[in-house]
Amino acid sequence: MDRLDWLRRAVILVFVPLGIGLIYLQVFSYGRFKNFSEGNSVRTLYLDIPRGKILDRNGEILAEDKLGFNLTFVPFDLSNPKRCADILAPILQQSRSDLLQIFSARYPNPFEIQVLARGLSQEQLHFVEEQLAQLGGIYIQAGLERRYPLGEHAATIVGYLGEVNRDELASLRNEGVRSGDLLGRAGIERIFDALLRGERGGTSVVVDARGHQIRILGQKESKPGNSIVLTIDAGLQRAASEKLGDRPGSVVILAPATGEVLALVSKPSYDPYRPAAYLFSKSKPMLNRALTGLYAPGSVFKIITAIAALEEGAITPDDQIECTGVITLGEREFHCWKEEGHGAISFKSALAQSCNIFFGEAGMKTGESALLDYALRAGLGVPTGIDLPGEKSGSIPEPGESGGALNLSIGQGALLLTPVQMASLIATVANGGNIMRPEVIRELRTPDGTLVEKYGPALRGSFFVSEGTLKLLREALRAVVDIGTGHAAAVPGIPVAGKTGTAQTAQRDLNQPTRGSFVCYAPADAPELAVAVVLDSGASSEAAVIAGQIMRNYFLQAREAGGEDTAVKSSSEPTED
Amino acid sequence: MINRERLYLPVLVLTGVLLFIGLVLIFSSSRVIGKDLNDLFLKQLIWLAIGLAFLILLAGTDFHFWTRNAPFFYLLILLLLAAVLFIGHGRSGTQRWFRLAGFNFQPSEFGKLFFIFTLAAYLEWRKDAVKRFGTLFFAALFILLPPFLLVLLQPNLGTAFIMIPIFLVMFYAAGSPRKHLVTLVLTGCCALPFLWLFLKDYQKQRILVFLNPSADPLGAGYNILQSRIAIGSGGIFGKGFLKGTQTHLAFLPEHHTDFIFSVLAEEWGLLGSTVLLALYLLFLIEIIRIASYTRDRAGTSVAVGIMAMFATQVFINIAMTMGFLPVVGIPLPFLSYGGSSLIASLSAVGILLNIKQQETFI
Repeated sequence: MDRLDWLRRAVILVFVPLGIGLIYLQVFSYGRFKNFSEGNSVRTLYLDIPRGKILDRNGEILAEDKLGFNLTFVPFDLSNPKRCADILAPILQQSRSDLLQIFSARYPNPFEIQVLARGLSQEQLHFVEEQLAQLGGIYIQAGLERRYPLGEHAATIVGYLGEVNRDELASLRNEGVRSGDLLGRAGIERIFDALLRGERGGTSVVVDARGHQIRILGQKESKPGNSIVLTIDAGLQRAASEKLGDRPGSVVILAPATGEVLALVSKPSYDPYRPAAYLFSKSKPMLNRALTGLYAPGSVFKIITAIAALEEGAITPDDQIECTGVITLGEREFHCWKEEGHGAISFKSALAQSCNIFFGEAGMKTGESALLDYALRAGLGVPTGIDLPGEKSGSIPEPGESGGALNLSIGQGALLLTPVQMASLIATVANGGNIMRPEVIRELRTPDGTLVEKYGPALRGSFFVSEGTLKLLREALRAVVDIGTGHAAAVPGIPVAGKTGTAQTAQRDLNQPTRGSFVCYAPADAPELAVAVVLDSGASSEAAVIAGQIMRNYFLQAREAGGEDTAVKSSSEPTED
Repeated sequence: MINRERLYLPVLVLTGVLLFIGLVLIFSSSRVIGKDLNDLFLKQLIWLAIGLAFLILLAGTDFHFWTRNAPFFYLLILLLLAAVLFIGHGRSGTQRWFRLAGFNFQPSEFGKLFFIFTLAAYLEWRKDAVKRFGTLFFAALFILLPPFLLVLLQPNLGTAFIMIPIFLVMFYAAGSPRKHLVTLVLTGCCALPFLWLFLKDYQKQRILVFLNPSADPLGAGYNILQSRIAIGSGGIFGKGFLKGTQTHLAFLPEHHTDFIFSVLAEEWGLLGSTVLLALYLLFLIEIIRIASYTRDRAGTSVAVGIMAMFATQVFINIAMTMGFLPVVGIPLPFLSYGGSSLIASLSAVGILLNIKQQETFI
């Protein structure tokens, strides 16, 4: 067929340019390319760019890159790996065999610099410098090092960095990530990793045999990482962490009007400089208890019981109930925490003294389903929507499954809350019914400080409570701190409104530790802080002590620092008892 | 079964030689890097065994079975291509793979063969109307475009593009008037700007980098540059077996797959690469010979389609490693590492052998 002959000619014709191309490359350009390949003369010089900063609400540094010294090596240049391992093992406090393994591993590109140790101390630096003549292929290089000024105090929020793994390397290569780079592994470092990291640029250059640059082949501009501004107040964060100390538990502090998270502490925490040591620790320091810990709220739930009972007309402010220290319900006896009983008691003192009998009676009159309904209306039972990953929703049982109105009304039973939900609840009471979404992230800024994006407060819902009920509740919450169970949280000159809570982890007589909690807001008349302190084990009075210390630190320091506003307001505050 | 007297040896021998060269190159490129890549050599041997089984099976199966049932297979492959978009495994932002029993399986490799069968069946059905423009235009719209767009969406720019020469060559061989084909190509060119909208960012970047390699010396431009250095530094005689520095020091990425030609050019020089080009040319001409021997219209169509498929792959791949075309991820038939490609190529050879087997029955 004629057409097939034409096809045959066409195929031959198609191969001609390939042949010409080969002759061009392998004959005419041979010299140039041979030089390139022999000296391995094309080098890619990467530019190290600082990772974006993480700042608190006042611009204080929570994480930044600082210049430090790294110990590096070029696999190809290692003349005597064994001697290097011998010398370096004691300095780096690593075993000799580990080092040898690192040195003798196969690297995809044996000319590429690998990081052996980061952030050398002065002593290590001097020692290595003295021995450098013996250490062929080992280099000291200035490099960027991540600093976390608040250390473990803010690690739960800020997170930490870890070296890129092979899979990530494959997918992130186009963004300029290469082996040895650090990526965010938790917290803000992880959520905003791509934004903080920026894009690394570099230059492709031709070098001669002595390593001198002859010519630039191409260049790629680097894009430095952006900064993240958080709503956190570094001072408050540190204080909250220090006052909680080593006790397992959480502290969440919100700005009631906006839902901004001013401090969020989960203990045990970890050291962001050496996270590996904590990863598999039994005490689970990587867990953010403030978002994932589920706690029976105990008497903190009496806030809901009080609102429901007052709104539904189950009690009036003046009703008195006789607390004998025990109610018998069927065959079960139900005790007040005060064994001899509170005697005849009305709403305000009952909340101040956290009387179980009063609220048990009030709760039974209100009814289980109404109590659960108010809990849902207050925004409990669903995640608060905080902009950190892993939040749990807590649990609000279905009617009939809560363990009964009596148990429910004092927060013992199937109902569970996270610490951030407790903080959100008290913030809602403080601001008069706005359920704000707790937010940690405030702004995104370029390295030179230009605003890229601002994250505003977000209203998640409203909890409608009548003026009268709200006023009564707030007065009673103040009484809790002024004269009641939460007295340990009192701050001189600042009115505080709060509520203690104690939940049995198991049956009371089994001698199990209790989980003490305390929620409060202050100043009571113009709330700046809404605080929740939850202890994994301990009394509610201990939680109140911690809350009190944190607030005293905050308000008294603010006054000293010339925060006249607070001082004036609090002194003009009429005290009512 | 296979009739020994009618076994067409030239194609079989050339296939064997190409396979041998491929194994040598994969061995060479995997030897120095370390254990991981030596596994690749063994894996390739397994793929080769499977591929040869396919070859024997298809050489013994009447190829009319495929053309007769082409509409059914065509729809099936369209479904597979659509499915891979949703459940396939991606590599660097692409959705080309299924995982079957732990192995990656790339339906578009086989899609090309079924595409050829479908066109052959269509040309057979419309044999009296082949000179009409409507015949050509209908096929372009309903047989070429659907798989083309699906493969493009994966996104697999290279494989999608290969369908075009296959289509044109098959219609040309079947007797479609030249000016019709030219009209179609010009129409297609007008649609090109719209194609840009379909491309993923990394593909746009690859094309832009091809137009200006120094725009991204650390990323896509790096591949092209290192590949050119490998080829160019091979010179006339090459550096010798296992002596390719670019390859063995791993400056050249993906050297065992899409850039296998650079390994050959670096180690065996212009001589080696010319021999390889000559082998491919002979192979293609032998396929055209099969096409012209057979009196069966469908057989001619299929053979010519397979020829166009191989020719385009060879041309794009080699031009790409030399930096004359953008990096689009087309393997070099019989040489590149990779299961789907090898099995599909050997299946195609099996089909060619079968066309030769059928010859005397017509």
